[in-house]
Amino acid sequence: MARFSLASQSVTLTAVGDTANMTDSGYAFFLQGGSSTMQLRVSEVQAGGESTSSATALMVFGRDSTVAATSISGCTNANIDGSSVAPGTLAVFGRVSTTKPQRSATLGHLLQHSFNAFGGLVRWQARQGEEITVIGNTASLGELSYSGHTGSSGILSAHCVYELVALAVGIPALAMIVKMVLGASAVGLVA
Amino acid sequence: MRSLASLEGVLLIDNRCNDGVPDEIVVSQGLPAGSGRGIFEEACYTCSHCEAQVVKNRDRTRPRGFCKGCNHVICDACDARYHASSHQCVPFKAFAEEVRNAAEKGAADPIAEAEVYFHQRLIIGA
Repeated sequence: MARFSLASQSVTLTAVGDTANMTDSGYAFFLQGGSSTMQLRVSEVQAGGESTSSATALMVFGRDSTVAATSISGCTNANIDGSSVAPGTLAVFGRVSTTKPQRSATLGHLLQHSFNAFGGLVRWQARQGEEITVIGNTASLGELSYSGHTGSSGILSAHCVYELVALAVGIPALAMIVKMVLGASAVGLVA
Repeated sequence: MRSLASLEGVLLIDNRCNDGVPDEIVVSQGLPAGSGRGIFEEACYTCSHCEAQVVKNRDRTRPRGFCKGCNHVICDACDARYHASSHQCVPFKAFAEEVRNAAEKGAADPIAEAEVYFHQRLIIGA
C-alpha cells in the first residue's frame, strides 16, 4: 500500500529515560497504528543536527510501553508517491499529546543513533523485508518513537519512511481471491 | 540465491563537520569505538525475532546468532533465548500476523492471545 514520509522539524531535544513521560515537542516524533489491525513497516530513519554549537544527541528509535493519546498534534506526514491513493485510515503521528509516550525499557532500543547535532547527520535504512514493524495501536507493539536518551541535547530535524502495509487481515485474503478469479490486473483495485 | 549479506541494511553517521562523539559515549550506546568520529558507515541487520537493529562489528570473532527455523541472523539476546528454549523459533513477522488475527477476531488483548498461540512470552515487563 502507500508509503509515507513522517517529518519533524527543528526539535530542541529534552532528554528522557526509559519508562518516563516524554516532553511535548522535546522528541522528534512517535508513530502509532491507526487501528487495532493496522500494520506499518518503517524502512528509514534519518536525523540532521541543527545546533549552533557542539551537542551530543543520543537518539533512540524503539517501542513505547505507554502510547500517546488525546489531543495529538505536530509533525507532517506526506504520501511519497503523489499518484497513489491514500487509504481511508492513516497512521497516528505527532510530538504533542495529553497522554505522553513512554519508551519501553525492554523493547525501546531497536535502533541507536549517536551523533553530534552540530551539523552531524545520521541515517538508517533497512533492506526490503527487514523493516521494523508496528502492529495495532496499543502498547507495546503499536507505537514507535524517536527520542533523545538520557544525556541528549541539541536541535535536530528528522524523518522516517514507512509503509502502511495492511488495514485489516481480511484485505490481503480478499485480494488473493480476486486475483485468482479475475487475474492479476484486478488486484490493484482492492489492495 | 539469498545470502546473509542480502539481508543487511546500512547505518550512516556523519560527524565530519564537528568534533564528533567521544568513544565512551558511542560504546555505551552499543556502537563500535570510533563510530562517533568522521564518517561511519556500516552494515546492520534486523534480528528476525525482535526486530532490533544490530550494527555489525568487524572485529567480532564470535559467531553471530543464527536461527535455523527462520534461516535468519538474530541478535545476541534472542540467540540466548533461542538456545535456552531448545531452539524455538518465533519470527516477529509471524507473531505480528497472529496479533492482527487476534485483533480481527475481537480479542481483548491481541498480544497476549498471540503469546498463547506461540507458547512463548515475547513481551517482557515494561
